[in-house]
Amino acid sequence: MTGDYRRFALTRAGQAIVVVLLAYVFTFLIISVLPGDAITNTLRDPQHGLSEEEIQRIVAFYGLDQPVVVQLLLSLGRFLTGELGFSLQSNLPVSQLVGDALPSTLTLATTALLIAIILAVAIAYGAQYLPGKWAAIVRSIPSFFLSVPNFVIGLVLIEFFAFRLHSFTTTDPNSPVATLFAAITLAIPVSAPLAEVLIASLDHESRQEYAVVARSRGLTEARLFAKHLVKPSALPSVAMVALIVGELLGGSVITETIFGRDGIGTVVQKAVTGEDQPVLQAIVSLSAVIFVAVNLVADLASPLLDPRVKLRESKLKEKV
Amino acid sequence: MSADLLTVESLSIAYGPTAVVHDVSFSVAKGESLALIGESGSGKSTIAKAVLRLLPHGEATAAGRVALNGRDILALPEKQFRSLRGRELGFIPQDPASALNPVRTIGAQAQEAAALLGETDPSVRRGRILDVLEQVGLPDPVRVYDSYPHQLSGGMLQRVLIALTVLPRPSLIVADEPTSALDVTVQKLILDMLTELRRDLDISLLLITHDLAIAAERADQLVVLKDGTVQESGPSRDVFAVPRTDYARSLQADVPALHPDRYRDQRTAFRPVDPVHDGDSRTGDVSSPSAGLQIDVREVTKRFSAGGKDVLACDGVSFSVERGRTHALVGESGSGKTTAVRLLLGLEQPDGGQIAVAGQSTSGRSRAEVRDIRRHLQLVYQNPFTSLDPTWRVSRIIREPLDQFGVGTKPERAQRVREALEAVGLPSDVASRRPAHLSGGQRQRVAIARALVVRPDVVVLDEPTSALDVSVQAGILELLSKLQRELGLTYLFVSHDLALVRQVADTVSVLRKGQVVEDGAVEDIFSRPQHPYTRALLDSIPLATPAAALDRIATEDKLLAKSTA
Repeated sequence: MTGDYRRFALTRAGQAIVVVLLAYVFTFLIISVLPGDAITNTLRDPQHGLSEEEIQRIVAFYGLDQPVVVQLLLSLGRFLTGELGFSLQSNLPVSQLVGDALPSTLTLATTALLIAIILAVAIAYGAQYLPGKWAAIVRSIPSFFLSVPNFVIGLVLIEFFAFRLHSFTTTDPNSPVATLFAAITLAIPVSAPLAEVLIASLDHESRQEYAVVARSRGLTEARLFAKHLVKPSALPSVAMVALIVGELLGGSVITETIFGRDGIGTVVQKAVTGEDQPVLQAIVSLSAVIFVAVNLVADLASPLLDPRVKLRESKLKEKV
Repeated sequence: MSADLLTVESLSIAYGPTAVVHDVSFSVAKGESLALIGESGSGKSTIAKAVLRLLPHGEATAAGRVALNGRDILALPEKQFRSLRGRELGFIPQDPASALNPVRTIGAQAQEAAALLGETDPSVRRGRILDVLEQVGLPDPVRVYDSYPHQLSGGMLQRVLIALTVLPRPSLIVADEPTSALDVTVQKLILDMLTELRRDLDISLLLITHDLAIAAERADQLVVLKDGTVQESGPSRDVFAVPRTDYARSLQADVPALHPDRYRDQRTAFRPVDPVHDGDSRTGDVSSPSAGLQIDVREVTKRFSAGGKDVLACDGVSFSVERGRTHALVGESGSGKTTAVRLLLGLEQPDGGQIAVAGQSTSGRSRAEVRDIRRHLQLVYQNPFTSLDPTWRVSRIIREPLDQFGVGTKPERAQRVREALEAVGLPSDVASRRPAHLSGGQRQRVAIARALVVRPDVVVLDEPTSALDVSVQAGILELLSKLQRELGLTYLFVSHDLALVRQVADTVSVLRKGQVVEDGAVEDIFSRPQHPYTRALLDSIPLATPAAALDRIATEDKLLAKSTA
């Protein structure tokens, strides 16, 4: 069985690498078919004041005088060796630009993920165990969360907690409290689909015969929830969490702008307006790596969490 | 009445405004067993849930008195009642496969039951659990303890559940159809074990079942329920031998085990050897000696590979069916009967062997030719609740095979759908309804109409009544027997229920692990079984008399111990 799992893990990891490479190629092609020769336009911009010699050097580095395929291979080769090139706007190495911005965004996204999970579990628990009317109210929370735009939540939180209650100041966006509120802003809409999935699977599991049988053995509702229902209900949510990470990465751009944080969001914004191809390429690839990695972890975890997963394939064949 | 352990007085239960149980009273004496019997919708499970206080909160309301050892358990606060759960009142559920948490080990869940003993040391508890697992006939308790539910068979899981229920030594066990999800031979072993445990540990039993034969065999008292009211009650011997009400009488008459020859007279009316009754040319043609074999399966082999292991699902299976006859394939899950049917229907290709339908071999022919041969071969599925598309109207469901084979013009097809509905005894207005608005029996009639609409010669019946109540089952069997008589159909009847097979089939093949262990005429096999497996299957037919059951257990204790090992 461990051999089976190793084969499964290696296959999934291999697939993940292929996905990242495809995402890289796809991004490269999209950027290269955009109207206008982004790199030369930027290079020739007199604002940069680059000498003809420097321009030639950069053109040669990216292979800009070569066909697109050669450019792609050059760029891919460098990506695989960890070399991300230089920003066309600031002349700084892309790895440094991204490296400076990444910790802030990762802190924000991880905090937001934790808050989203806590919120979702709380909502799901309330929906299951609060008395009738309250449960109905709690059940409507996810759709409410989903329908309020991210930036509205951010502005409301800033208005109340920063300007009225002075819990934090907007001038120091990286303080722990400010980070917490930015994370809440990001977490609220993201917690909604997770809560929906949890509510649905808790509803399902608590109606299962085994829950009834456990009750007949005299388990209290709290014990039943903790011992029997949490784990099977969490299984569908594991895949959901992996998808949510993607949303957190995307949503952080808006949240960072509202709270005035310097993070990947700011870097992306500048890169897009400045057609900074190497930076864009690097960030899209980085997002792909994170997204694929999280999904890989979720995939690898599910057979460990659910003992039935491993057997599913062979069982199907036996059933015939 | 003071000796009564459980007393139910004027119990009425309603789901919202709909009353499902009306004024039901009965009592179970200490050490005694009582069976609540009835068909689906009779309220028997609802009563069981009320006794266990497992009715869904807020949706169901119960009025009346349910007393356990004189305490009214309906009136107890939940907290006080919880101390009775498991310790006084045990519960054995219907489907063992869904009654254990799939992501926790058996041991972890057994610890919960063991905790009711008041023992705090987990290793002492573990010892008690292993003891009781052994007591219910599980050969390797340590392995079972460490297993997840999906790693055990249905019979083993039901043993585990019974073990967990008896572990805290409750005074009453409520068993809700404890064996209806299991194979027949397993069913018998489980019931025998339960009877024995009850006797040894002096536990009372409230048995919920739809099977009158099982109830009569296993219970001292019977309560017959219909639509939530008590029809009849009393000592099971009396109720069974001389039913006083019409309902109990008809229920008794519909039990296949008790009436082996019920359909025999009707069927012998149409026999190739007895052409006197044949009025029309069609049946006359069929009865000619040259008609021969309608299905001929010779030495068919089919291998599946699962997880590196090869499984021989069919290992040289042969059987044949004469025109106008009924042949039964009998076996338990994993016996290969389903694979044999799939091969016959062309849903799987055999690895070896020959299959001929109406004298035409299916091997070495083009797909189109085989499809044409198979048009004369139709299937009625096991479960009418899942085999009909819920979004289609009945008329479209029945018309589908005609559309598929491009038969006739539109008005002709509509005409044939009407005829098929009439043939299966459904009113014409059913055509515009969807499956959700039909009962189980009506749905199975629709499924039969769908099979008949292309006018097949052979109908494969895959456990056609196993999802239905006995009285509904009797109606369907009646219908099938009438259709066979009128249309000269050939049936291949797949079932695990030998009592049913004895009623409907002429010849039978007993399958086990992909091989035919015995075949021949039904009368011969049932009166003189040669193979021990056939004998075990025959023994699993409930005897329907409490005394006989006890005698049999006494004499078969040895055999039981052997077959569980």
